[in-house]
Amino acid sequence: MDAVAATKGIDLLQLTGLQDLESLAIIGLSKNAGKTTCLNHIIAAWQETSQLRPLALTSVGRDGELEDILSGNPKPRIYVQTGTLIASAEGALLRSDALLEILELSNIRTALGEVIICRALSDGYVELAGPSVTDEVSTIGTLMRQHEPECLFIIDGALSRRSQAGSGVSEAVILCVSAETSANPETLAEKSSFALSLLQTPALPEEIALVFAEAMVVHPKKRVYILNGNNSDMTLAILDTPTLVGNGKAIANKINADTSYLFLQGALTDQVLQELLSESYFANLTVVVEDGTRLFIKPASLQKLRDRSVELAVMNPLDVRLVCLNPTRSNGQYIEPELLLATLRKSIDVPVVDLGPKTM
Amino acid sequence: MKSSVIVSPELLDELGLLRILDACQCRSPQGNILKNSVTFYTNNSRNSLQEELITIDKLLKLVRSNHPQVTEGQIQLSRLRELRGTLGRLEKGSLLDDTEFFELKSAFAIFNRLRRMKNLLDAAGVNFEDTKTAATLLDPAGTANPTFHIYSEYSPELAQIRARKKELEKEIRQATGPQRKTFLTQRALVTAQEDQEEESIRRQLGMKLAEWLPQIKHNVSVCGILDFRLAKAVLASRWNGCLPTLVENHNPAVLQNAFHPLIAAMLEKQGLSFTPISIELNKGTTVLSGANMGGKSVALKTVFLALLMTQLGYFPFCESLQTPLFDFFAFESSYEGDLHRGLSSFGLEAVQIRNHYRKSQSQKGLILMDEPCRGTNPSDATAIVQALCNVYGKSNSTFLIATHYHVRKSSGIRFYQVRGISPDALTELATYRYSSVDPIETEANIPATASNLTVIMKHEDLTRVRRIQNLMDYRIEEIDGVNQSSSGAIKIAELLGVDEELLREMIAARQEE
Repeated sequence: MDAVAATKGIDLLQLTGLQDLESLAIIGLSKNAGKTTCLNHIIAAWQETSQLRPLALTSVGRDGELEDILSGNPKPRIYVQTGTLIASAEGALLRSDALLEILELSNIRTALGEVIICRALSDGYVELAGPSVTDEVSTIGTLMRQHEPECLFIIDGALSRRSQAGSGVSEAVILCVSAETSANPETLAEKSSFALSLLQTPALPEEIALVFAEAMVVHPKKRVYILNGNNSDMTLAILDTPTLVGNGKAIANKINADTSYLFLQGALTDQVLQELLSESYFANLTVVVEDGTRLFIKPASLQKLRDRSVELAVMNPLDVRLVCLNPTRSNGQYIEPELLLATLRKSIDVPVVDLGPKTM
Repeated sequence: MKSSVIVSPELLDELGLLRILDACQCRSPQGNILKNSVTFYTNNSRNSLQEELITIDKLLKLVRSNHPQVTEGQIQLSRLRELRGTLGRLEKGSLLDDTEFFELKSAFAIFNRLRRMKNLLDAAGVNFEDTKTAATLLDPAGTANPTFHIYSEYSPELAQIRARKKELEKEIRQATGPQRKTFLTQRALVTAQEDQEEESIRRQLGMKLAEWLPQIKHNVSVCGILDFRLAKAVLASRWNGCLPTLVENHNPAVLQNAFHPLIAAMLEKQGLSFTPISIELNKGTTVLSGANMGGKSVALKTVFLALLMTQLGYFPFCESLQTPLFDFFAFESSYEGDLHRGLSSFGLEAVQIRNHYRKSQSQKGLILMDEPCRGTNPSDATAIVQALCNVYGKSNSTFLIATHYHVRKSSGIRFYQVRGISPDALTELATYRYSSVDPIETEANIPATASNLTVIMKHEDLTRVRRIQNLMDYRIEEIDGVNQSSSGAIKIAELLGVDEELLREMIAARQEE
């Protein structure tokens, strides 16, 4: 697959199977990872192939501004087609120039005002600033589907500890990586491959996932659910802490030699892991998180887990369909993509493409 | 409200008033604003209270008959948004944005739907102003579509600009490279013209809508009133509230089978039922005496809750209730002492006694006291209680006191007592012998930690207390006053297996007295 071919809409759709999806999240490995460019490619591919289903776009947090708020560099803008649904905050909509019809007010507030559900009555630029909490993203998806039941719901996501694009919100994921992470092909490939392996963390056995799902209904909004014993004789323990960080010791104290599954709701970081690893019982068990976007750990930590026979599993597996490479760095440096692509493809088992620039 | 209802935060919590008001659920922000502003009706607002209660009664009939307009009305009210900001900006002549126009358009649709619900509006005693013409301002093409944008129908110029823009967008779709850039630049110029035209339309639209402000404000306020009254009717339906009769000030308050929904629910969980309270409260003093564990405090809370809810414009939870309107409500309970603040409990009681008495000199109050002077020496306490009964007996206020101290008959004092445990019921309960073995001694190997230094009450004892409680007849009845029975405390002590020697001393001491 070469970069030029991949820019053809039809190829992008074939590669990702977008036509058959109900929802998709675009996740960036770093700032300037090329998420917006990827989204613009999808929008263009959707138009070129005359898809009948409308796109419904939102973002986790803010995207589509003219400039990167951190670096001040110009950012690609999102140019939508007539008929596209948008969920974005009032303040961001004021900076959009597509003619937008207000369909509904979501009652979800952000720093830029309430998230409004609109339909584009003309082509044009929009700025996306959606909700920052997963539950709210899911609400937005439901609201949009009430207006366009057949839409493809796309979340311009972010890898951050606070928000996530997975957890049952999206069916599939596109991971965007850029030379920002490293200009060295080997290092970039290593980091991307590791990030991908975390995102693709396998699902729990169905029966165990069911036990946790039930526990979450009976004891909602707890941080820690522990299963002790084996399949025939399991007991559930629950720990309610405000955060995972800083409470690793308390969690570690709750587990024992009999613990088989430890489900942590929230971001699993190196710090939390460090605290867990200090407990000798923390071995021969499976650590469960909601989905692969909740894992913020270094390769060394993963190795430590393996040494203790600790497995990782997720409640909601993510189906990563594509890895998109942005060979440009925010300082303007352009790295020759051929070598980067070749190196990435050696260590990554999903298609890797450079979609090329797409400034509309 | 604050100076009209004098009750400590702790007692207010025990009364459950706030939890009950929480159960009164308004659907709209406007209804909630009204609810949270809390109106205390007095003689000066007797007519408003009467109107409020009658409308709730009419709505209650619709609620009970499952009238479809009740649910439909609630759905419409729940869609209404807080409009104060938008209306304020409209009034100031600020330029409204699309979201604000959308809010107004939605509000017009809600007004229009509610306006057609004749039965609901008649019952609630409210009327909507016709804003259909104003609504057409936000739907220039008459599509009846609930969505909003600045429509091309607003001006031929706008329609032309947008047609040009659309042509360019078509070109952009097909163009690539520098040609596309050129089209995009041209589009940016047209978009700027569009923005300018839209702004002028927004300004004109705002001015036209501002002419409708009185009607819009009226309708918003009507939504709040309708919502709050409907929520009160639903609450009354849930807990069997009744339409209270407001009587002139010289008449007594008469409560028939009043109950406290939260205490009733708690008892129900334990398989018990709440005994309703019936009582007549004249101006002057009413003394409530009776057995320990007899539910005097519950009776006081139930009475206070029913009468206070009435004056807050809600249906009281009673079979029937008539009441004059009081200028203020006060409730004191020595149980909720302020010991944790390190202050003398009688000192604090004395302050309240002084305050209520002073207030009652110029205003007609409903003053409830639950066992005042509980921690004071009995002869002083008896004197204080008697004095309170005497002075309030002659006052224009209504004073209801639960006390164990003996109160002598005097003018203006009525007596009620809790029936308590009947002698027949007592014979069913064989006297209990408390096991002489200390539970701690039998478990000698338990390590001495702070938590096992305290002796936990034996399950057997708790069951016994519960059984005695079950024998209790909580009904209250009027008595002559001379034959005030003993509190029954010694009998209860006997039933709980207090040692014979100690019991003999108790009886002897009682007889000496």
